Amino acid sequence: MNAATEKHQIAWVVDLNKCIGCQTCSVACKVLWTRDDSEKAQWWCSVNTQPGEGTPRGWENMGGGYDADGKLSPGKTPTPEDFGGGFDFNHEEVFYGGSAGKKHLEPQAPREGRWAMNWDEDQGAGEWPNSYYFYMPRLCNHCTKPACVEACPSKAMYKRDDGLVLRDEDVCKGSKDCMAACPYKKIYFNEEKNVAQHCIGCFPRIEAGVAPACVRQCPGRAVFIGWLDEAGSPVNRLVHEHKIALPLHPEYGTRPNVYYIPPLSPHPLNEDMSINTDKSRIPPEYLEGLFGPDVHVALKTLQSEMDKRREGKESDLMKTLIAYKWEELLGPFTADPALINAAD
Amino acid sequence: MDAKVDKDPIYSGWEDLYRDKWQWDEVYWGSHCVDCYPGSCPMRVYVKDGIVWREEQAGSFNTIEEGVPDFNPMGCQKGASWSQSLYGPDRLLYPLKRVGERGEGKWNRVSWDDALDDIAESMLDAIEEFGPHTVIHEGTPEYATVHPTNKFFGTIGGGDIDLNGSINDFSIGLYETFGKFSPVSSADDWFHSEVILIWHMNPVFTRIPFYHFIAEARYNGCQVINISPDINPSHLHADIQVPINGATDPAFGISMVQVILEEGIADYDFMREQTDLGYLVRTDTRRYLRETDVTGEGREDQMYQWDPASGLKLADRADMRLNGLQIALEGTFDVKLADGSTVQVRPALVALKEHLDAKYTPEQQQEITGVHPDTIRLIARMVAAKRTNIMLGYNACKFYHGDLIERAMCLLLGVTGNWGKQGTGIRCWASGMHEGQFIAIEKPAPGAQAASMVIAAREAQFQEFMDKDPSATLEIAIRDSQRLGEGAEQPLAAIPALFWYNHCGYGERWNTPGWGDDSLPRGFQEYMDEAMEAGWWKRPPVDPPRVLIECGGNMLRRTRGGKTALLDTLWPKLKKIVTIDFRISQTALYADYVLPAAQHYEKIGFSIPTPHVLNLNLSDKAADSPGEARSEWNIFYHLLKKFVKKAKERGIEEYDLHTGDKRVIGELLSRFTMGGYYEDEDGNMDEEKINDEGVRDSVLCGTLPMGTNLESLRENGPARFVDFGVTGMGSAQASPIEKDKTHVPFRNHTEGGDPFPTYARRAQFYIDHEWFLEAEEHLPTHKPNPMAGGDYPIGITSGHNRWSIHAMNQANEVILGTHRGEPNVMINPDDAKARGIGDDELIRVFNDVGEFKVRTKIAPNVKPGQLISYNGWAGFQYTEWSGENETEPGMVKWIGFAGGYGHLNYFPIEWQPVPVSRWTRCDYEKVEEAL
Repeated sequence: MNAATEKHQIAWVVDLNKCIGCQTCSVACKVLWTRDDSEKAQWWCSVNTQPGEGTPRGWENMGGGYDADGKLSPGKTPTPEDFGGGFDFNHEEVFYGGSAGKKHLEPQAPREGRWAMNWDEDQGAGEWPNSYYFYMPRLCNHCTKPACVEACPSKAMYKRDDGLVLRDEDVCKGSKDCMAACPYKKIYFNEEKNVAQHCIGCFPRIEAGVAPACVRQCPGRAVFIGWLDEAGSPVNRLVHEHKIALPLHPEYGTRPNVYYIPPLSPHPLNEDMSINTDKSRIPPEYLEGLFGPDVHVALKTLQSEMDKRREGKESDLMKTLIAYKWEELLGPFTADPALINAAD
Repeated sequence: MDAKVDKDPIYSGWEDLYRDKWQWDEVYWGSHCVDCYPGSCPMRVYVKDGIVWREEQAGSFNTIEEGVPDFNPMGCQKGASWSQSLYGPDRLLYPLKRVGERGEGKWNRVSWDDALDDIAESMLDAIEEFGPHTVIHEGTPEYATVHPTNKFFGTIGGGDIDLNGSINDFSIGLYETFGKFSPVSSADDWFHSEVILIWHMNPVFTRIPFYHFIAEARYNGCQVINISPDINPSHLHADIQVPINGATDPAFGISMVQVILEEGIADYDFMREQTDLGYLVRTDTRRYLRETDVTGEGREDQMYQWDPASGLKLADRADMRLNGLQIALEGTFDVKLADGSTVQVRPALVALKEHLDAKYTPEQQQEITGVHPDTIRLIARMVAAKRTNIMLGYNACKFYHGDLIERAMCLLLGVTGNWGKQGTGIRCWASGMHEGQFIAIEKPAPGAQAASMVIAAREAQFQEFMDKDPSATLEIAIRDSQRLGEGAEQPLAAIPALFWYNHCGYGERWNTPGWGDDSLPRGFQEYMDEAMEAGWWKRPPVDPPRVLIECGGNMLRRTRGGKTALLDTLWPKLKKIVTIDFRISQTALYADYVLPAAQHYEKIGFSIPTPHVLNLNLSDKAADSPGEARSEWNIFYHLLKKFVKKAKERGIEEYDLHTGDKRVIGELLSRFTMGGYYEDEDGNMDEEKINDEGVRDSVLCGTLPMGTNLESLRENGPARFVDFGVTGMGSAQASPIEKDKTHVPFRNHTEGGDPFPTYARRAQFYIDHEWFLEAEEHLPTHKPNPMAGGDYPIGITSGHNRWSIHAMNQANEVILGTHRGEPNVMINPDDAKARGIGDDELIRVFNDVGEFKVRTKIAPNVKPGQLISYNGWAGFQYTEWSGENETEPGMVKWIGFAGGYGHLNYFPIEWQPVPVSRWTRCDYEKVEEAL
C-alpha cells in the first residue's frame, strides 16, 4: 500500500433514508459481473433487511478485521451454506415433465438450514405495531486499511491508486485467508476456479469515467460516489463536513469507504395507539451498534435540517441529499456508457 | 479532480480479464412493453455477438422543471435483469401441442404450420356452430401485444373480455366522484407535495423507479404518512405510521373530514365551486332538488344551489365557477314545487355534516379503525393546511367497499381544496396519448391524408355531441361518444362479470349469504335482475365460448377463483385453448397449444405511455428471437392466412356477427394489412412500417412533437408528449401539458371551471341514485367488510410483490436469487405460535372456497389476524399448481350493476361490476411434512 492511496480514494455514500431494498444494485452487479455458473451464489453487492442475519448468515459475528492493537483479528471463513442461495430450479420437470401438478417450481436444495442472499427480507424486529426494519446495501468497502490485503499469503491482493481493492486472480491460490480476514464477509469463493472473488468497484467503468453499476443503476438515487478527498464533493461534504455519513462497524478497524447515512424512522405508538413522539421506532442503540456512537449526532443533524425545510427555511444539507440533478450523485463518473465505444 | 484513472501498469495484465468482459458490439434503445404500469423506463440494450448481453437504464432524462429532481435513472431490478429471461429456462422456443390430458404437462413440439392449421380449423368450427363471438380473448394491457391482438379479433369479429373488468384496477370510488378514474399526476409532481398520504399503496415495492420523488419531497419539507394494517415497507421513510384495522379506511377518512368541518378549517370556496356539496337536497325524499321538481319541465339532472341574496339558483352545468358568489353551505330552505307543494331543502354539506357528527367523530372511529383520535386530528389539520397528495394504488379498489374507501379519500381532498394544483391530488391510472398507434392500424389507407380523415371524422363526432348538449366540454363529448359508440355493443364477453355469471358459475358464489353486503334489503340476484330488466345492461348471448386465445393474458392466474372456478366450468366448453407467450405461464400449462412469442428487445414496441412519465419510449429490435419464436403481429397474421385458406376450403365466403354485422372472408387479409401495405416482401408483417406510421399519426393527432418518427426516436431517444389528445383517458387529465412543468390533472376544472363528467357535473359526493339511497351509500360512509370466503379469523391482504411484474419474470433465475426462490405468505409471530407454526414451514390456507399450500415467513410487521400473500407468483410455483387465487370467491359489489344515472352507465374499462379479493377470510394450519 503506498501513501498516495491514503489521499486518493473512491468512496460510496449510501443514503439509507432513500434505499428501498429493491435489489437493483445487486441485480445490476450480478448481470454485469457474476453470471458464470461458477459464480451463481455470488452477490458482490447485496441488500439486507436490518435487523437480520443478512448475508452471509450471521456475518456480524464472524470476526476478522483488526484488534485494538492494529493486529489482524481472527475471523471465520464463511461457508457456502452461510452464504446460501445459488439454487438450481426444476423448470424442465415442471413445464415438460408430465407431472400434472405433482411437481412445482422450487429450489433444488435441502430444506434444512436453507439460506439465501436475501432470506430474511422484511422480517425485521420488534412487535406490531412497533416493529421496525430498514434496508442496507453492502458491497466491498474498499477499505483504506484492508485486512484482506494484509492477510493474503500469496500477495495477490492490492489497493489501486484510485483506492479500489482488487485481487489478481492469476496469483490467488485460493487460501481463503482474505475471507477470514474481511470483517464484512463480502468475499466469495469460486470453487471451480479456486479463487476468491469480490466486488471490483466496476474499475473498467471507473477508468472510462462511468459510475459503477450499483450507483448508476440505483433507481432510489440513494448512492453517491466520488473522491473522498475532493473538497466540496458531495461525498466529501457528507462524510467530513456534515458528518452524517458514517462507516459501518468502525470498530472493525479497516477504515471502510462505503459510508451510510443512518435511517430515521416514524415514531412508535403508545399502548393506547397514540403516537409516542419521544421515541424513535428504530432503537438508537441498535443503530449505534452498526454505525458507532456518532450516529446520534448524525440523526439529530438530519432531523433538524429536515425540520428547517418544513419551516420554509433553506438547508444546504437537504439540497445536497435531494440531488436535483442525477449527475450530482455520480461525482466525476458521469460518462454515459451507451455513448462509449468500449471495444475501442 | 476528473474521472480519469490511469490503468495500473503492474496489474493491468490480469485486470484486462474484467475490462474485456465490459465490451459490446451494439447499443439499442429498449424498454419493457409489458403491463408494468407506469413503467416507461428508458433502457439501453447492449448486444454482443448477436445476443442481448445486458441492459442498463439510459439515464437520459433532462430536467423538466427547474427546482424539481429529474427522473433518472428510471428502472428496477426486474428491468435490469430482463435480458436474463430471453435465454432462460422458462423461455418458449417452439410451438407446443398438448399430448395427454389438459394440464398433464406433456407436450410435443410441432411445426408452426400444423399448429396454426389446427387452430384455424377450431375457429371455423366455432363460427359454424355459434358465430365468431365464441372465439374469445381476454384483454391485455401488455402494450406490445395489445395492438396485434385487438386487430386480429377486430378483423374476425371475435369476442373481447374487458381487461379492467377482469383484473380490477378500477378505482370505482374515483369514478363515482369525478366521473372518471384516471387523473394521474406526473411522478415528479410528488416533489411539490407538502403532505403525502401513502394509503392503499406500497410504493417501496410498486413504484421503484419513482419512489425517490417521495424521499426527495420529504427532504424538501414534506410530511410522509403511511397508512396500512401491517407496518409495510413504505413505512420506512415515513414520518407517521398509522396502523389501521383492515378494511376500515372509510371510517378513518371521513372522520378526518368530520374534524375539518367541525373545526371550520375547510376550503369552503373550493367546495362551493368544485363539488356538489352546495347542491340542494330535499329532506323528504333525500334526493336532489331538480329542475323537473321545481318547474315541472327541464332537465332531470339540473340541480340547484342557494344564493343567500336571491334564493334558488340553477347550478351551472357548463361552468363551475361562481366568481365569488357565496352559495349557501348551511341552512334549511323552503321551496315551492311545480305541483304546488312546498318542500324543505338543504345543501348536501348539511346532510354530510349531520351524518359525520352522528357516527364518525374521532372517538367513534377509533372503535372501528383502532386509530387514536389525536392522530386523526393531527393529520386532518395537516391536510387542511397543506398541499396534500394521496398516493393511492390499485389496492383499495380490490376491497368489497373499495368505492367507499376511495370516496372518503376524494372527500378529504374535496373539502380541503386539494386537487388541480401542483403537489395535490389522487391517482389511479391512465394511458392514451400514443393515439397514432390505433389510427395507423385502423385507417383506410397509408399516409397522412388517411389519418387526417380519421382524425377529422372523430372531431366531427365530438362536435355532434357538443352541439346536442351545449354544456358539454370536449372531455364530456369524448366520453359520451365512447360510451354510446364502442361501449354500446357489449358483445358476448365484454363484461367479465356477466361472462363469469353466464359461463363460469359465479352466480352461486355471489348469492352466498354473508359473502356480500347483507345489510342491503335485497340479495345479489334481485339487484342484477333489476339492472338487466331496466336495460342498464344488455343481455349478452349465452352461447358457450369455444376457442380461447390468450395473448398477454393469463386467465388461470389472474382470475379470482383460478382453477377451482374455471377448470370445471369454462374449460370443458372450450374446444381449443391457445396461449401465445414468451414464457410458460399458468394458463399455458392447461392449454392445448402454446405458441412462442418474441420477447422485448426482439421486436419493435413501446412501453405504456402514461401521464406519470409523459414519454413515448421505443423498445427496439436489438436481436433475433431464439428458436422459432415470432412476434405477435406475425403469429396473428399467419393464423389469419390459415383461417382464410381453411374457410375457402370449407366453402365459407362470409359469416355473420351476432351484432348484425358480417365478415367477408375475401376481405380479411386486406383488412388486417391495410390492403397489403403492412405486408413485407417475405410475406410477413412489416413492423417497421406499422410502428413508424403509428408515431407519425400521433404527430398528426398533436400528441407528439412535429418531426417525431421511428428514426428520430432511435436517434434522440424517448420523446416527450406535448398534448393528451382526445382519448378518454388523455382528455380526462383535464390539464394542458407544459414543457417545463410537472403535470397535475384537473386544472381545467379548478382554473377554467370545466364541469366534471358526472351526473351532477361537479365532483359528486352525494349520489342520489335509488340503489345508493337504498344501500345508505348516497354519502361517503363506512361499512364493515363482508366475510367473503366464510366466517374465519384471518384476513388475506395482498398487493404487488417486489420481485416480479405480475408473474412475467417470476421464473427468471436472477430474480429467484433475490428472495427465497419460492412463494411465501407473511404471518404474525403470535398467530403462528398459536398454530404451532415456524418460519419457512408449509401451511395449508383454507376457507369455504378453496385452499392452497405455501411456505411461511414470520414477520412482526404483520398485524395479528392478517395474512399477507403478495401477488404475482405463478401458479406453478405452488404445490399442486394452486395459488392464493384458489381461495378467492371473486365477489362483485352489487352496486356496480347500477345504471341509468349519468356517469353511472356501462362504460368499457371504467364502469361495470368488478371482482374483489382483499380481506377474504381464511384460516391456516401446519402441513406435516415427511422429512
